[in-house]
Amino acid sequence: MSAVLTVENYTLDYRTGWGLRRALDAVSLSIAPGEVLGLVGESGSGKSSLAWAITRSLPTNAMEAGALRLGAEDLRTASPQQLGAIRGRRIGMVFQDPSTSLNPTIRLGEQVIEVLMRHRGLDRTAASAAAEAALADVELRDPAALMRRFPHEASGGEKQRVVIATVFACDPELILFDEPTTALDVITGARILDLFGRLRARTGVAALYISHDLGLVSRVADRVAVLERGVVVEQGVPADVFRTPAHSYTRVLVAAVPRPGHRLVEDTPPATTLLTATSISVRYARKRLFRPAPPAATHAVDFDIRRGEIFGIVGESGSGKSSLARALTGLAPFTGAIDLDGRRIAAMDRPYRRAVQIVFQHPDASLNPRMRIADILSRPLRLYGGDSAEVPRVLEEVRLPASYASKFPHQLSGGEKQRVAIARAFAAKPALVICDEITAALDVSVQAQVIELLLALRRAHGTAYLFITHDLNLVRQIAHRIAVMQEGVIVETRDAADLASPDAHPYTAALLAASPAPIG
Amino acid sequence: MPARWLIRRLLLVSYTVLVVSLLVFGITQVLPADAAVALLGENATPEALAAIRLRLGLNDPAWLQYLHWLGAALGGDFGTSMRTGQSVAPMMLVALSRSLLLAGFALVLMLCIAVPLGIWAALRQGKAADMVSGMISYVGVSLPEFVTATLLVICFADRLQWLPATGYIPPGEDFAGSMIRLVLPVVTVSLMMIAHVARMVRSEMIDVLHTDYIRAARLKGLSGQRVLLRHALPNALLPVITIVALDVGYLLGGIIVVEEIFAIPGIGRQLIIAINTRDLPAIQAGAMIMALTYAVANTIADMAYAALDRRIRYE
Repeated sequence: MSAVLTVENYTLDYRTGWGLRRALDAVSLSIAPGEVLGLVGESGSGKSSLAWAITRSLPTNAMEAGALRLGAEDLRTASPQQLGAIRGRRIGMVFQDPSTSLNPTIRLGEQVIEVLMRHRGLDRTAASAAAEAALADVELRDPAALMRRFPHEASGGEKQRVVIATVFACDPELILFDEPTTALDVITGARILDLFGRLRARTGVAALYISHDLGLVSRVADRVAVLERGVVVEQGVPADVFRTPAHSYTRVLVAAVPRPGHRLVEDTPPATTLLTATSISVRYARKRLFRPAPPAATHAVDFDIRRGEIFGIVGESGSGKSSLARALTGLAPFTGAIDLDGRRIAAMDRPYRRAVQIVFQHPDASLNPRMRIADILSRPLRLYGGDSAEVPRVLEEVRLPASYASKFPHQLSGGEKQRVAIARAFAAKPALVICDEITAALDVSVQAQVIELLLALRRAHGTAYLFITHDLNLVRQIAHRIAVMQEGVIVETRDAADLASPDAHPYTAALLAASPAPIG
Repeated sequence: MPARWLIRRLLLVSYTVLVVSLLVFGITQVLPADAAVALLGENATPEALAAIRLRLGLNDPAWLQYLHWLGAALGGDFGTSMRTGQSVAPMMLVALSRSLLLAGFALVLMLCIAVPLGIWAALRQGKAADMVSGMISYVGVSLPEFVTATLLVICFADRLQWLPATGYIPPGEDFAGSMIRLVLPVVTVSLMMIAHVARMVRSEMIDVLHTDYIRAARLKGLSGQRVLLRHALPNALLPVITIVALDVGYLLGGIIVVEEIFAIPGIGRQLIIAINTRDLPAIQAGAMIMALTYAVANTIADMAYAALDRRIRYE
């Protein structure tokens, strides 16, 4: 049977002010009917460019060579009319974030109905009934009520289901998924994947599944292609490609994927307590007259961190993880008590602020873009009794060349910026560093390097980490103990080793089940 | 739209107007105009002046005078004009109705031209048409009304003789004549705002056209027209509503100048006459009516915004 999608020797360049920039280099791929091809690669590898090329939505500065065919039809020579009949009808696309890919001013129902009217020639009444059926097909409760709602009135999972319903409504031959679960919570994302599996079994649709998450791809794809800087370096069955990678880049990628069974930290921290948090409760928004108080972000959370310990906190977005980090650093008002080294911290004083440092998720937002790296690092040094002359030493500790001191943050890569943020935290010689999703915005290979750096710094300085993440596989590799948070409450705290034991809290078990299975 | 939100908005408007009333009253207090002298003339005897000061309460402390004035103003009584001896409020309201006619036409004309112009420029972003429309817009923004008004009068009234240069006829008397005389003032007032709003529509439209949901709409195979009008335009126009509301202040300022140039007896012209003749009650009434108009226009814009953008939470 002939392929649904054929990409043959396809090369894509972007004309820029500095000449041509190659996005895809002689890419050849094909997807058979009913097949799911996973496309993995790190940011900048050209994954999304390929999706734009297939959907013919390239920017005007794109220059192409090679062939793109849907069935027997040449996509590159298709007229706008032909494209209008192909898009939405024969090729559907699911974007990463449903909250930006749905129009905020149009009711959810209308956004499904318009596709049915366009491609299935239905009148409004028939399309409305068909849309309701399509929403029921993606296992949404009460589709009729949902159709009347606007995107902001639905949850992320519901929105992504609406997008999927829209895509499946016209029975397409091919669906492009661009990281469809990245913007969702782990459990919600896992449910969306299960749904896709069922829909796929029923409709026999073919798909191109773009993702940076190897574990996820190995679960959904029949075949996988590895893209490195626009070149497909390896293709094959996921189990083979990931278990016995032939290309060095694939090996790097696979090695960087966190495996919970593979512990990176072997030592046991001493039993001396560094920090005790008692009944920490964070409440945002000021109290207002005649209004009920806003709900608390965290309710009376208790935990303790030992000297040199890596203490993990996991939970979905909105579970209160970051609020806790903000409370511990004095960035959010809270009630409750903090003891550091047996000393009750009544007010955030300088010794405490020095001892407890934080690294944020987005270095772009946490590094002042108008300050040079040297100035960024001098501040904590001078504030805590050091000297600007120590900047080269501090940079060296995070394995950045001393010459970076004169650079601005925008001249650095994402991983390098995060190293600067880590260097800034360590410049104060802290006893505890709070890491709030510090690798979430990084590629998997960069993430591995940053984690490795953190562990080396801990070996050198005996620093404790409060490691906040949604990545269970990662935290199980490095943490000594893990606290699981749900809706502002720590539901349980366990040794990392027996997180997966059968007597775990049901929510912990649900999180574990939803975490993409590691490769192999 | 919850009633509580509306009530809160109305309270806010009242508060604004109250603050303005304090300012207006305060400013008229420090003006170098003595109400008693203004009433009786330069040659009045000191006894007569003292008598009228007593009768008008001008010897009372300022706060008491303010409360008296505010109490009467709340009942719609701004006092009698020192110039005409007539009640100020009805006079100002008639003038306001003329100005609103001018402003309303100017707003409609502006939107009819600025929105399509902005969309057109956005679709041809970076091309010659976009640059030309941008340049025209900047010229429009930088020309003050009295210059455009003069140019328009020279061109259409003086040289071509198509339109009368100045004057005002109430629509009830001679509808056609009234409208013909409104053309040049309306065009003058709207020109200034067209440039501003068209640039705003353009940049909002460009932003919206780059969003994921527009990309998604295109990938649904929808026609270009539907993507533009149903998916992009409502989202692009939302912020424009706020800008138009802010422009109402601009509009009121422009109207004062334009009414003076074209001899339209609207609120702006009345205000200028009142200031020239130091007619304190008329100045107070005019300033208060202007402020109220601005506050109401902004409230209407906020309500429109809230009705169109479902994400607004009524906080």
